Amino acid sequence: MVRAKKIKKVVSKKPISRKRQTRITKFKAAPRPQAKQTAGIQVQEIAVETAKFSHPEISRTAKTFSPELPSQYEQDRMVLLVRDPWWLYTYWELKQETVEKIKSELKDEFYKAKRILRVYDVTNIIFDGLNAHRFFDIEIHEFANNWYIDTAGPGKSWCVDLGLRLSNGKFITILRSNVVQTPLDGPSWITDEEWMIPDDMFARLYGLGFGQGKSSPAGKAWRERMVSSSGMASMASPVKKAQERGFWLKVDCELIVYGATLAGAKVTVQGKPINLRPDGTFTLRFALPDGKQVIPVKAVSADKVDERTITPTVNKGTK
Amino acid sequence: MPKGYLCLVLHGHLPYVRHPEHEDFLEEDWLYEAITETYVPLILVYERLVADRIDFRVTMTLSPTLISMLSDTLLQERYLKHINRLMELAHKEIERTRWQPEFHNLALMYLSEFTKARDTFLKYNRNLVSAFKNFQDLGKLEIITCGATHGYFPLMDICQESVRAQVKVAVSHYESVFGRKPRGIWLPECGYHPGHDAILKEAGLRYFFSDAHAILHGSPRPKYGVFAPVYCKGTQVACFARDLESSKQVWSSIEGYPGDYNYREFYRDIGFDLEYDYIKPYIHPDGVRINTGIKYYRITGSGNRKEPYLPHWAQDKASQQAGNFMFNRQRQVEYLYDFMGRKPLIVSPYDAELFGHWWYEGPLWLEFLIRKIACDQDELRLTNAVEYLEENPRNQVITPSMSSWGWKGYSEMWLQGPNDWIYRHLHAASEKMTELAKSQSSANGLTKRALNQALRELLLAQSSDWAFIMGTGTHTEYALRRTKDHLSRFNRLYAEIKSNSLNPDWLSDLEYKDNIFPGIDYKAHQ
Repeated sequence: MVRAKKIKKVVSKKPISRKRQTRITKFKAAPRPQAKQTAGIQVQEIAVETAKFSHPEISRTAKTFSPELPSQYEQDRMVLLVRDPWWLYTYWELKQETVEKIKSELKDEFYKAKRILRVYDVTNIIFDGLNAHRFFDIEIHEFANNWYIDTAGPGKSWCVDLGLRLSNGKFITILRSNVVQTPLDGPSWITDEEWMIPDDMFARLYGLGFGQGKSSPAGKAWRERMVSSSGMASMASPVKKAQERGFWLKVDCELIVYGATLAGAKVTVQGKPINLRPDGTFTLRFALPDGKQVIPVKAVSADKVDERTITPTVNKGTK
Repeated sequence: MPKGYLCLVLHGHLPYVRHPEHEDFLEEDWLYEAITETYVPLILVYERLVADRIDFRVTMTLSPTLISMLSDTLLQERYLKHINRLMELAHKEIERTRWQPEFHNLALMYLSEFTKARDTFLKYNRNLVSAFKNFQDLGKLEIITCGATHGYFPLMDICQESVRAQVKVAVSHYESVFGRKPRGIWLPECGYHPGHDAILKEAGLRYFFSDAHAILHGSPRPKYGVFAPVYCKGTQVACFARDLESSKQVWSSIEGYPGDYNYREFYRDIGFDLEYDYIKPYIHPDGVRINTGIKYYRITGSGNRKEPYLPHWAQDKASQQAGNFMFNRQRQVEYLYDFMGRKPLIVSPYDAELFGHWWYEGPLWLEFLIRKIACDQDELRLTNAVEYLEENPRNQVITPSMSSWGWKGYSEMWLQGPNDWIYRHLHAASEKMTELAKSQSSANGLTKRALNQALRELLLAQSSDWAFIMGTGTHTEYALRRTKDHLSRFNRLYAEIKSNSLNPDWLSDLEYKDNIFPGIDYKAHQ
């Protein structure tokens, strides 16, 4: 396995300025493992063009559960998470008996009904199921168990029902999610009397906060800046790797000098003492640059009486 | 007289990677490399500054997982083996490059660095945490905590008990290590969700760091932007937001300092460059080439042709860039001071591993910067959050906005196609843990051990690092395995606790493998 940590960040740093682009970029920006990169991606690309509020994630359903982890937890549950100011993510689980119960109540109607996610805007209210400011429906696949939802509504509270729309148009709720709030995608309109600041001054501070220097106009371009400069989280390399071309060749030469003498002798190579193995053998390895290398190998016996010198000479050239 | 403050923050974190069941485990190298390339060099910088009586303030996160690994005897033993092997390789390199002075000098440099790393490691009795503690005790370093295992809080909001456990376990772990409570926290990935400040307050934390838009998009509008902290409405916990201009100068892969052509090239390592049989003993035992840490080239240019690294060129550049960074901050505070009518605070947080590991000259740059700020000027003063608040206690009260410092600024890095499936499992486990903690209020013996182990497994599964690696889409096997392993272990513990059928041998084995937080109390998950 190659070190996972050394992966250079693969996600796109393409600046995005408009929401429409945000939606499209996300598919390209987060490559999936190869195995999944088949029809799923294409389906999603099309979905972006055709569906206004969502894109299906069902292509992944089969892979959602690893063999080691339970495929379900025997509960009726729907959880809503905030991805960013515009997008929500929801996953859910239905007990088999709950499904059976609904089937037995609805009989044939059950099979004609459409599976729906009903997304309620519940900003600043205590939601009772009926008092939402507005809602929109997303038709989903029968076997889906999670979904990304484009709310196009930063700074609002949301709640989602999984339900059935019967052939007569009636909506039946099966599961209801928790309530979440999407963050604002720009500065708040609410000001503080005690900490008042004129709009134009705030605009400048705002730009400065996003690292645009004192001369740049604040406001509109902030998101590009944010994306290009803050796309950094732990374990990603901030260091760029040079683009490698498709084909290349590298050649280096090394020289191995080896030999043997009586154990206990002192040996020098090019005047520098080297270590012998206990049996009197030695091996040296050199990176070999172009040019001529004269390599005198001199051995002196342990009692310093005998001496031998052998001098290999090597010429290396590169064309 | 200073016109503004600079708060440097280094976020030190690694996920808990410790595999006693394997002789040699590739991912453990993350820690060994970080010790040699980042943590020892930073300690040496602090040592030199203290020796030269240079006053400084640096804030550093030491995440509980990082502290746990740095103080683990098995990993310490293995680090020593690792650094000894590296020194052996450096010796061989000195021989091998005898006819290439440009590389020979670098081989000598690496030997000297590895030797220093080893000496420093031994000098602090193999536990580098004690080195950082010394600098904290001297008042130079402010060490803050982090989520216990770096769990990403915004996607845990549905089960706040887990956020609470991440915070409480971290705080009590910090206390056991440093002898006092932490005053501040680095929210993992800077992930802030409104309301979590209440959990921080409960744990006695007074401040946290966030990304710029937490404050800029907070409500009501922040009068001073990111150049002053705010107090969270209802809790008075202080939020310090990152300044993106100073961040970008260092972080940016396009215009940032680390990309300078004179700096060392990260991606040319002898682990990949040298002849296979020669390098084989120093790469992975199964023969896969990996980085050794010995790198001979400078970035040179945008192409593939690389020239040998020249240390003195790189040093000159680091000094120049430190001067440039300081100059820009001086201009920044001057301008802001007039504009705001109050001394601005510039918060510049970075991943600690950027310094040394990714950006080889980073520690040197930091040292130059600190020395220049101390000796060459008086417009800018280094500070930390606590000192700043003592001098500037009056700050605006707002509700910061949900945010993170990840890709696109929110939760998408940890919530996208390749990793979104984990949340149903994580949340189910969190719910079960809450149920266990509530129903077993006074467990003891084997059950208590099992409950504590269940919380360890849950926390380990929650590390944002796994989701992050899955999100990058390549080499995800290890992250997948860790997520599944810890969740499966948790689920089995839960089942055994519920059915009163605990297997003591299996539990002991888990305690041996996933031994983090020996003093953990399962009741933290409430």
